[in-house]
Amino acid sequence: MKEDESADAIVLDHVGIRMGETQILEDVCARVPSGGFTAIVGPNGAGKTSLTLAILGQLSYSGAITFPKSGGFPRFGFVPQKLQFDREMPMTVSDYLLAGIQRIPLFFGRSPKLVARIHEMLCELECEKLSDRRFGALSGGEIQRVLMAQALLRDPEILVLDEPTSGVDVKGGKICCELLKKIRLNRGFTQLMVSHDLATVSAHATHVICLNRTVRAQGDPGKVLTHRVLTETFGLHLGIPDLHNLPADAQTCESSCPYHHAAHSGSCSCGQHHISAAEEEKGAGHD
Amino acid sequence: MIDELMLRAADALSLLFPFDCMDFPFMRRAMLGLLLLAPLTAGTGIQVVNSRMAFFSDAIGHSAFAGVAIGLLLAWDPNVTMMLLAVAVGMAIMLLKRRSSLSTDTVIGVIFSAVVAFGLAIVSRDHGAARSAQTFLFGDILTVSGKDLTLIASLLLAFLIFQFMAYNRMLCIAVNPLLAAVHRVRTGFYQYGFAVLLSLTVILAVRTTGVLLVTALLIVPAAAARNFARNAAEMFWYTLILSIVSSAAGLILSAQDWMSTPAGATIVLCSFACFCFSYLWSAFFRPSRAADTDK
Repeated sequence: MKEDESADAIVLDHVGIRMGETQILEDVCARVPSGGFTAIVGPNGAGKTSLTLAILGQLSYSGAITFPKSGGFPRFGFVPQKLQFDREMPMTVSDYLLAGIQRIPLFFGRSPKLVARIHEMLCELECEKLSDRRFGALSGGEIQRVLMAQALLRDPEILVLDEPTSGVDVKGGKICCELLKKIRLNRGFTQLMVSHDLATVSAHATHVICLNRTVRAQGDPGKVLTHRVLTETFGLHLGIPDLHNLPADAQTCESSCPYHHAAHSGSCSCGQHHISAAEEEKGAGHD
Repeated sequence: MIDELMLRAADALSLLFPFDCMDFPFMRRAMLGLLLLAPLTAGTGIQVVNSRMAFFSDAIGHSAFAGVAIGLLLAWDPNVTMMLLAVAVGMAIMLLKRRSSLSTDTVIGVIFSAVVAFGLAIVSRDHGAARSAQTFLFGDILTVSGKDLTLIASLLLAFLIFQFMAYNRMLCIAVNPLLAAVHRVRTGFYQYGFAVLLSLTVILAVRTTGVLLVTALLIVPAAAARNFARNAAEMFWYTLILSIVSSAAGLILSAQDWMSTPAGATIVLCSFACFCFSYLWSAFFRPSRAADTDK
């Protein structure tokens, strides 16, 4: 499906969020182009999740958030960062997915049509084997995929993901980015993702918003993710790989982490000590 | 008219339970009351266990004292004031839980202590109220009337309608209310609706087991069912079956000469026996949950 750039999916106009005495965000003006993959990057405490919740209508804010493409409040699909729930709950993955879309109570049976739809969705996300597993017994990466399936089952206009690759292994991160890109291009929804992982953002995003209490920069990742902007956003020097120097397969997102690819091949543009934001979290760096 | 129908239905139960103790009309009424109450406590119990709201139902149960006290103060029917106060307490807890930054336990603790203190203050000044309070402390299902049965049946009807609409959505809310809200589940409607029905169920169940054991009536069958159930549908049916079986068995056992124990306590002991059995079954016969995790 051709990406429609005639209207923005989300427009943030001087948005501010205050919690008690703390100003979380101030004067945030940004746009999320329709049909693309917009990434919000920034350090911990930058207000990324708060901004996401405000967009989802779950947090009060000042200023205005509008959805020009949808007209009214759009249909959102949401994948939260972490799901804290009672893992001993007797509920299978298909129970959980059905609970969100089936009207008739589960104790009266399952709709074969909806079960088939769920199976199709899980197949699309390459996790159909999870269907009859107990939801509470899944690993972090598997739960993320089920949550993606739940969000996509709603046929969203805007899919919002809050750091879906945090705590997920390399394979999980790859699936998250590549599968979502395929599904997004196929269905034409807008993807908004909060991420720490600059390598993933630079490789996959079509638009980036650098946030640290306010918008530091926004636009095309290739133009926006400069050393100056990253230093201003993250408060320390960060480098990202020069994707133009990567092998062709890495540029087309076949590698789950182009940064590592670049680092190993020594093709990084600035030649300085680099840490990805995810590694910054762990306090580890590599040359 | 409906009260009369209820009493006739109660009389018919002697055919279903051919025990000597069922010759007494008060036992037949008690049995019908318990059989009507069991789906209510089972259904609410599942959601109480899933949403970790055991303390919530405890607070509602303890508001019975204050409800009686208000009834005596205003010279109203204590049964009415008790239900009104229970609903008010349930709604207040849910409101604060949703709106306040305080933890749910703290919110419930604050309201719980306020209603208990109020009830005790009034009861201590009025000896008549102290006698009524004792009835609610230990419960007495054997005094249930045709009017009470009609009330329980009406609540059961409302609850079944709610369960039909809300069972699946309440599962989503139990996993994560925020995620459910973003996905357009009307969390406010379901949570407040559930709070009202839970409050009324607890207050009616207080008549059975008393304030001290009312929470057990809700959570023990659901906890036992968790050990058997593999999915959400099984959880519902097992809880319902265990709730009905322990209620009926508890009442009949309590009336045996060799037992002669209070009905409410015996019902809870039967539920507990079911829980022990389910736990042992789960430990020895159920496929390992660790294996499920490692699949």
